[in-house]
Amino acid sequence: MPQSPRWDIFCKVVDNYGDIGVCWRLARQLAAERSLGVRLWVDDLPALKAIWPAARLDDEQLLAGVEVRRWHLDFDSLSTADLAADLAADVVIEAFACHLPSSYIASMALKRDQGKPPQWYNLEYLSAEAWVEGCHGLFSIDPETGLHKAFFFPGFTPRTGGLIREHNLSASRNAFLADPGNSAQWLAQRGVERQPGGLTISLFAYANPAIDSLLRTWQASQLPIDCLVFEGGLLDHINTTLATSLTAGDQVQLGALRLFVLPFLRQDEYDRLLWSCDINFVRGEDSFVRAQWAGKPLVWQIYPQEDAVHLKKLEAWLEQTAEISGSALSAARLIRAWNNQADCSTQWQQAINEQKHWQQQAVQWAEHLNSFEDLVSQLVYFGQKSL
Amino acid sequence: MKTGQELRAGHVINIDGQPWLIQKAEISRSGRNTAVVKTKLKNLLNGYLTETPYKADDKFEDISLDRKEVTYSYFADPVYVFVDTEYEQYELAADDLGDLVNYIEDGMEDICEAVFFEGRMISITPPNTVTREIVYSEPSVRGDTSGKVMKRARLSNGHELQVSDFVNVGDKVVIDTRTGEYKSRAKD
Repeated sequence: MPQSPRWDIFCKVVDNYGDIGVCWRLARQLAAERSLGVRLWVDDLPALKAIWPAARLDDEQLLAGVEVRRWHLDFDSLSTADLAADLAADVVIEAFACHLPSSYIASMALKRDQGKPPQWYNLEYLSAEAWVEGCHGLFSIDPETGLHKAFFFPGFTPRTGGLIREHNLSASRNAFLADPGNSAQWLAQRGVERQPGGLTISLFAYANPAIDSLLRTWQASQLPIDCLVFEGGLLDHINTTLATSLTAGDQVQLGALRLFVLPFLRQDEYDRLLWSCDINFVRGEDSFVRAQWAGKPLVWQIYPQEDAVHLKKLEAWLEQTAEISGSALSAARLIRAWNNQADCSTQWQQAINEQKHWQQQAVQWAEHLNSFEDLVSQLVYFGQKSL
Repeated sequence: MKTGQELRAGHVINIDGQPWLIQKAEISRSGRNTAVVKTKLKNLLNGYLTETPYKADDKFEDISLDRKEVTYSYFADPVYVFVDTEYEQYELAADDLGDLVNYIEDGMEDICEAVFFEGRMISITPPNTVTREIVYSEPSVRGDTSGKVMKRARLSNGHELQVSDFVNVGDKVVIDTRTGEYKSRAKD
């Protein structure tokens, strides 16, 4: 019986948890759903441990069916004998524009010379911009070795590589939401007893002074508001604003607002948080994608870039969602204000006034994303097509 | 050495020991201050064409090239023929003309810079400015002499550009070939 292909994923954690979040999901899904031998090389094991507490800080471990290896800075000082014995995998993914160690590339070239060229992917950043479709699936030729590498772009249309979506995700979500008791219980286990007629908001964002306007607005709200926030830069800002020193497990009542500080959640638990809330503030790439699968209204804070290039990417996504699932103008205005770090009071109120429409748009958008193949399926199929 | 974001049309780079001419390079900003460069490449040994993306920080070895001044001679379908100062002739396919395709016309005397790889002409760059006659232009807006109002016009080779509203058919104009923009009406 032929051995299933071995996959190697290389992940360099630059900052925050998006790099490791996406790579860990990808690795787990490949291992669990495709029964592939997956090895994840990661340079920052504490980051992995933050999103998957069972992870150890060891150089090698087996975790959720994935072989996790520490990507040492001195990877290239591995001896030739080790390299020959530990040949490159059959499929190699360099995630988010990281560069593979030169010794590993040499190992890939050796494998190619033996008549078994590895499939090599550059897994790019997620974007809704039009140029992505024109680059997705194109092959690059490595200048030094001549090895071919495919540029694989996640995206929101069938002409891109799609998004990470576990095969049972919709069913799990629907089963969870079918009984309102599930979300009530999940929240209660974290100290949040739902208030009748209130709003439950999850808040996962980069530090943003615009939070001050939202805190004021929520404190003065006619509806009771429960806001679940995580430790990090944003909570540091909130603590400064409120002159508090809240940490994980703490809660505080401010007018109509109850603020709860959550510890970092394991990836699968984070999904349940998103399903349990009415509105989700998310950031970057990983939480952003999960919030779209949750089919709930979301406020996205895109990763800021030089020259405000990120705002063009934000607009591209807003245009795509409007095109597919209809405009939710007030929600779009709120998201823009949030990303411009501007006062969001008016935009928040307008968005809440149209919450039903916002919710419908979120459901339609999730249905659109579900209508084409997920990223793992496309990666596997792409590889098979290329042989 | 060049990085991906430094690649431009006309550069020749070494990919796995082979010389590749960059015919086109489009840069797009990706995530987290990285960028992707989509190139159109031609293998100078076998003519193979490919569209290939690279990361902006990928590194490429330059290939040493010869350059000399040439002028346009004639069109011998499907190639354009140029001559150097010693009347040596060189051919170039339309795809390799780059921006010069917009300004090429019979009888032109502009001195261009040709690039050679192993004795073969592979690309050409026009001078920074060329002077060309307008053979068609849209009607002028009455009375405008400010030069700020622009209109569509055409050269004898069919290339279209925007010119000042006061420019008429038969006028000669100075064009900046680096930007493709009209600069001024040529002085007689």
